[in-house]
Amino acid sequence: MKKPLILTLIFVALGAMVYFYNAYNKEHTDVSTADVLQELTTSDLFAAFDADVALATEQYAEQVITVSGSIYSIDLENEKEPQIVLQANGDDGFIRCGFATAARSQVESLQEYSNIKIKGLCKGMNDAGDLDLLAERDVILSDCIIID
Amino acid sequence: MKKISTLILATLALIAIAASSHSGGVYKTNTGTIDFFSHTPVEDISAVNHKVKTAFSSANGKIQFSVLIKDFEFEKALMQEHFNENYMESTKYRTATFSGTITDIAKIKVSTDGTYTSQVTGKLTIKDVTKEVATTGTFTVKGGVVNAKAAFNLNSSDYNVKIPRTVMNKISDDIKISIDADYKHLH
Repeated sequence: MKKPLILTLIFVALGAMVYFYNAYNKEHTDVSTADVLQELTTSDLFAAFDADVALATEQYAEQVITVSGSIYSIDLENEKEPQIVLQANGDDGFIRCGFATAARSQVESLQEYSNIKIKGLCKGMNDAGDLDLLAERDVILSDCIIID
Repeated sequence: MKKISTLILATLALIAIAASSHSGGVYKTNTGTIDFFSHTPVEDISAVNHKVKTAFSSANGKIQFSVLIKDFEFEKALMQEHFNENYMESTKYRTATFSGTITDIAKIKVSTDGTYTSQVTGKLTIKDVTKEVATTGTFTVKGGVVNAKAAFNLNSSDYNVKIPRTVMNKISDDIKISIDADYKHLH
């Protein structure tokens, strides 16, 4: 009678260990293989955050999306994370896309004002509230890859 | 002759205005780096954000930062999830901001290569808490780019960041914040 109980306890303990090990070592979202929540233009994405930033954060943050738009600038200043900036709302709003360090040469080869489609993990909007030197607003995408 | 001297004076005045606006301009970057580090005997935890928006005015020393909390990258996905959902509530409190002053801005010659130090003081807002912080910043001017580096420590409990007792041995209340940003003049 005692033996089955001990075996059950061992299995439960092993199951719990495996569960916690897997949870602790959970992988980050792999953008290249992740399903896309929504395909958007840069203007549509920015407009969603502009209309209701709290709602858009609930809807898009930590979700993999694609955005299509025109490259405003190529920003290679940060050695660890090459970035591009996409036009979205005139001088006030942009989509800032961060890439892996290894994608630097690929980002470097892009042309300003050309059209591009990016797949990335949306992180939300970096708007600085009433800080006057940081007036323009960016919707941030990370772990980006170039689709087209 | 009078017309020529007026013209020369007007040109000189324009050059002077242009020069003063350059030396007193706004320097900015959207690709600054902030990382933080927590040390306990059980575990070291660090995270980094490479899309920090920051600017300063070389005229009056005003300096500002805005960083999107959800864009901090951790080595472990689970830590990142706990940081966002449990500790920082980053869906509700999306950004952390700093607004302050470079006290000795007059000493920093943005048009002359060199390294300068200055106290930086101001208000740091994390979640729903704003507190005064002060640190020493190192400003290195090279080829028109101003690199700023600074580091300071804060107590996470001061900013309403509640760490459960069960993980207190892994997450320190004392967090080291490091800043590294390359500013360029806004034309």
